[in-house]
Amino acid sequence: MLRAVIPKNARSKRALDARAPKEVEDERTAIFVRGSHTGEVLNGVIKDLMALKRPHAISFSKKNIIHPFETEGVSSLEFWSSKNDATFFVVGTSTKKRPDGLTLVRTFDGKVLDMCEMGVTKFIPMADFKTKKSTPGYKPLMHFASPLFDTHPRLMQLRSLLLTLFNGEAIENIALAGIEHVISVQLGPLPSTSASVPAAPLPGSVDDDPALFPPIFIRTYTLALKSSSTRIPYIDLVPMGPSLDLVLRRHMQPDPVLLAASLKKPKLTKKDVESGLGQKKKMRNKEVDEMGDLRGRVHIGKQDLSKLQGRKVRALKQGLEEVEDVEMDDAENDLMDVDESPKKKRKKD
Amino acid sequence: MDVSGLLASTSKGRSTEVNKDVPLVVDTGLLAVFDPNDIEPEEYSADQEAYLLSVARDGVQALVNALFSLPVQKTADGPLAILPSIETPLPRAKPLPKPKPPTKWEQFAKARGIQKTKREKKVWDEEKQDWVDRWGRKGKNKEIEEQWITEVPANAPDDYDPVKEARDKRKSRVAKNEKQRAANQARAMGPSATAASTSTGLKDSNAWDALSKDDKKGMLRRDALRAKVSTASMGKFDKKLEGEPKLRGIKRKFDPNEGNVESEKSAALALLSKLERNPISSTASAKRPRKDAAGGEGSGENVLNVRKAVRYATKGKGATAFASRDRGRGGKAGRGKGKR
Repeated sequence: MLRAVIPKNARSKRALDARAPKEVEDERTAIFVRGSHTGEVLNGVIKDLMALKRPHAISFSKKNIIHPFETEGVSSLEFWSSKNDATFFVVGTSTKKRPDGLTLVRTFDGKVLDMCEMGVTKFIPMADFKTKKSTPGYKPLMHFASPLFDTHPRLMQLRSLLLTLFNGEAIENIALAGIEHVISVQLGPLPSTSASVPAAPLPGSVDDDPALFPPIFIRTYTLALKSSSTRIPYIDLVPMGPSLDLVLRRHMQPDPVLLAASLKKPKLTKKDVESGLGQKKKMRNKEVDEMGDLRGRVHIGKQDLSKLQGRKVRALKQGLEEVEDVEMDDAENDLMDVDESPKKKRKKD
Repeated sequence: MDVSGLLASTSKGRSTEVNKDVPLVVDTGLLAVFDPNDIEPEEYSADQEAYLLSVARDGVQALVNALFSLPVQKTADGPLAILPSIETPLPRAKPLPKPKPPTKWEQFAKARGIQKTKREKKVWDEEKQDWVDRWGRKGKNKEIEEQWITEVPANAPDDYDPVKEARDKRKSRVAKNEKQRAANQARAMGPSATAASTSTGLKDSNAWDALSKDDKKGMLRRDALRAKVSTASMGKFDKKLEGEPKLRGIKRKFDPNEGNVESEKSAALALLSKLERNPISSTASAKRPRKDAAGGEGSGENVLNVRKAVRYATKGKGATAFASRDRGRGGKAGRGKGKR
């Protein structure tokens, strides 16, 4: 474990502050780890995934004896995470039992949150597509196609992991001209051997039978914007590569306590809510009509009709006689108060 | 005549609409689109890559439709679409930052309603007619130290060094601030940092912080000694460290029987006058040195310093004057009595 470092100068303090937890987080840095043996396929996969993840990617290009689903493996991942301030891992290991295995590991608070292992069955590298490539550092669009991504825990986890890897960062705005490529994740049909996918995953890091799950296709395309009948462009997709066919293997579901802690959201400030960040807050007294205009309803207080100025009629004016009477009374009072001190009299007035 | 095919073939007039059995779910904040439609086996088996591409195209078109209808903010680098917040819950990488615990001053300022004002780094120098740094090189706080001639008070000793005097004053202010900062930090660390204080009977970490370093050292040493003799053999068979001093008990000391009469008399009178002054709390006053340790005034919850508050309210005349003032005219007599 690392020692708790007390900064001794401004530079190290800045470096520590950059690592400190933030309310709105930056993009996760991913470490691409090569295991004790990686074949040609896995090397290519890691290289191309890194190209997509750059510049938030760190390459561990040497061989590492790592088994992510074992305790020692978890502790090394956590160590690397703390050393490099990286919170995501892509580990490639190829063994006889599980050839071309690709493991996605996500951490929270320096601890491994969850893992998912997949086997690469087919891989076409980026270089084999002689097409335009996206600019490194540009944010990709993500596309997921299958109802299972919303229902099955294992595929929900996979979707969450892939979203975290490529697009987890919250951004305020985007230049529409900077949308260049899309990463599409789709599922094939269910294997003929199984009528349906196993309802719930087995607990812990156990091997689910890969034959029970549909194959996963990851494709990357660049966007070609064409003119259309409307202002919005018509989209054509051009394959960019890499193109991956995967099967699900082992996994580790997140610890519920850790997961709940990791899903905590910061309290929205009043300013953020006003600027429209707090989407869940109900919009009050405002509605959008069928023309698309925002219409507001303003509440004003109850009208006091007693103070309403009616027509001014001389007959309704207060009688002049009454006013004169009042003046007379005052004069009498003055006469009676003669013997009292002047101070008191003034008070009475 | 059906021209839809003809229209579709030309680049213009192509529709950007996406029609699916189940509508697509778009999370614009995340730049992601989720297509919950089932796979179509015939088209898939006919040409897998073409099918995947067409499904992806429809999804991306739906997402682009949503992105292009977002409100736009114009900048020098071109228009920016303002994205809404992310709807899909994704786990964070690090826990939410903890709010910084308030310093003692911040607590006090909050209790008194003191607004924080930003302190400018520059101050106006009347002589130079210019803005100078408040601190740092050629700072205003080093003015006396750095000026070439300094007025020496008439009654100053021979070795009076005005530069050293000013410098020591400044350094002591820095040291005081540093001490307060350390105390704030220790308080912020919580009870774990002051675990030792519990063994010495100080429940409140603030009370422990308020003690001087020597007091703390003494308390810890006493605790260590007590722990050492807290075995069945009273520490006789315990492993000794190298160079560990031998334990010696404290010997009681008595004053000689025939001593100085004058000092004995003054000590007795002092005790009597002490008892007379506050007869009710005489027992409590015997424990006065430990008042801080009991966690009364120095504790974090009660930032009001009662002693200072009384002094302020009575304009420096003390609590007795405060009480007698309420009685009205008796105040004068009471004050006189106190002075005697």
